[in-house]
Amino acid sequence: MIFLDSAATSLRKPPAVARAMARAVRGLSSPGRGGYASARAAARTAFACREAAARLFRVPSPEQVVFTSSATHALNIAIHALVKPGSRVVISGFEHNAVTRPLYAIPEVEVRVARAPLFQPRAQREAFCRLLEEKPDAAVCTHVSNVFGSVLPVEEIAEECRARGVPLILDVSQSAGALPLDFSALGADFLAMPGHKGLCGPQGTGLLLCGRVPEPLLRGGTGSASRSRAMPDFLPDRLEAGTHNMPGIAGLLEGIRFLESEGVETVRRREEELLARLAAGLRALPGVEVFAAEEPGRQSGALSFRVAGLDCEELGEALGERDVAVRAGLHCAPLAHETAGTLESGTVRVSVGALTRPWEVEGFLEILKELLP
Amino acid sequence: MLYYLIVCRSLTYAQRTAAALERAGLTARVLRSPKAIAGEGCSHSVKISQRSLPRALQVLRRADLVPKRIYITAGDGSWQEVDL
Repeated sequence: MIFLDSAATSLRKPPAVARAMARAVRGLSSPGRGGYASARAAARTAFACREAAARLFRVPSPEQVVFTSSATHALNIAIHALVKPGSRVVISGFEHNAVTRPLYAIPEVEVRVARAPLFQPRAQREAFCRLLEEKPDAAVCTHVSNVFGSVLPVEEIAEECRARGVPLILDVSQSAGALPLDFSALGADFLAMPGHKGLCGPQGTGLLLCGRVPEPLLRGGTGSASRSRAMPDFLPDRLEAGTHNMPGIAGLLEGIRFLESEGVETVRRREEELLARLAAGLRALPGVEVFAAEEPGRQSGALSFRVAGLDCEELGEALGERDVAVRAGLHCAPLAHETAGTLESGTVRVSVGALTRPWEVEGFLEILKELLP
Repeated sequence: MLYYLIVCRSLTYAQRTAAALERAGLTARVLRSPKAIAGEGCSHSVKISQRSLPRALQVLRRADLVPKRIYITAGDGSWQEVDL
């Protein structure tokens, strides 16, 4: 099988991930809920995972690393913490529905879109700056477009937000594990990410890195301050009601350890080379329109294309029948397609991850050639 | 045997506390706080030996980890809060 859908999930994972999950199913109970061996082992695993994430993303304290069930869950917590009915919010033109749907569900929220063309960081920064002048209540920005792989200048946008006192949520779903990220230097209020994409962990895991203590989205048992009718006022307990997903956390820990041993910079370089080969190969095919950056550093992980006269979904199906995994359509990000002018046609997205191999790229290009009219 | 319990606000805080102490060469164990000293109910503590306390307090101060409360016990069920 050729797997080029890493922007959706990391199907191929380091073998240690599955091993750790199997061990967790057998031997980890609930962290903090008892003094017996399996509860203590669960507590050690959860703490090790928080510490590993804190190291990877330069978070000052492991208490600021909150486990969630997904990036969507993490984004919902962050958005509800900062955005209230009637708030004004600035977002980029490349946001996923995981950002836009929670925002539009809050009554009378005014969403202002900082639109800029693909792969143009300066224009993106200027678009944000213009709207930040209107003193919004919050800003939300994706680091990397899940459709086009376009890298947004989040360091600069974060700086502009800090200068104006605008709280910022960064959706790093596509960049966590694929690009270096420094939570402390960014100074954003929240970073939200899945555990199962670039971090190579299992589905059902996510992380929210917190620069402040928000209102909880869920309320329930935490194993702490149990006599209080309110949720604890400290992290991570405030945001972690209910029993932890220990198999998921154990797997995520191994995913992060794998990244630590490989090095994010090594993964970044490898993915950049694969993406460059994909772009060159696609450009050489007749009738294929490729959305690829001309300059290095402006695209990460994913690349979209469309073929004149071919429906993107039909092409995606045809590739699937030949055991090639890609994603076609709108990729849950109609706003990004609107910004890029591909809303009506959709695109086919190919995306690479830490464990994508060069032969998969070459195999995909060969098979695609056979499918073209 | 006399020992101290450093009461922490959360399991994670207790783990950070224990990790800082272990890094400094002090034996520290995380456990659920006895109900008599748990405060709001269900908290975690770090157990250290009697002779470790002065050094532990130094280490925690340097690591910016503030103990919520500290208790001393002889393991006979009685607890006495230590004035910091």
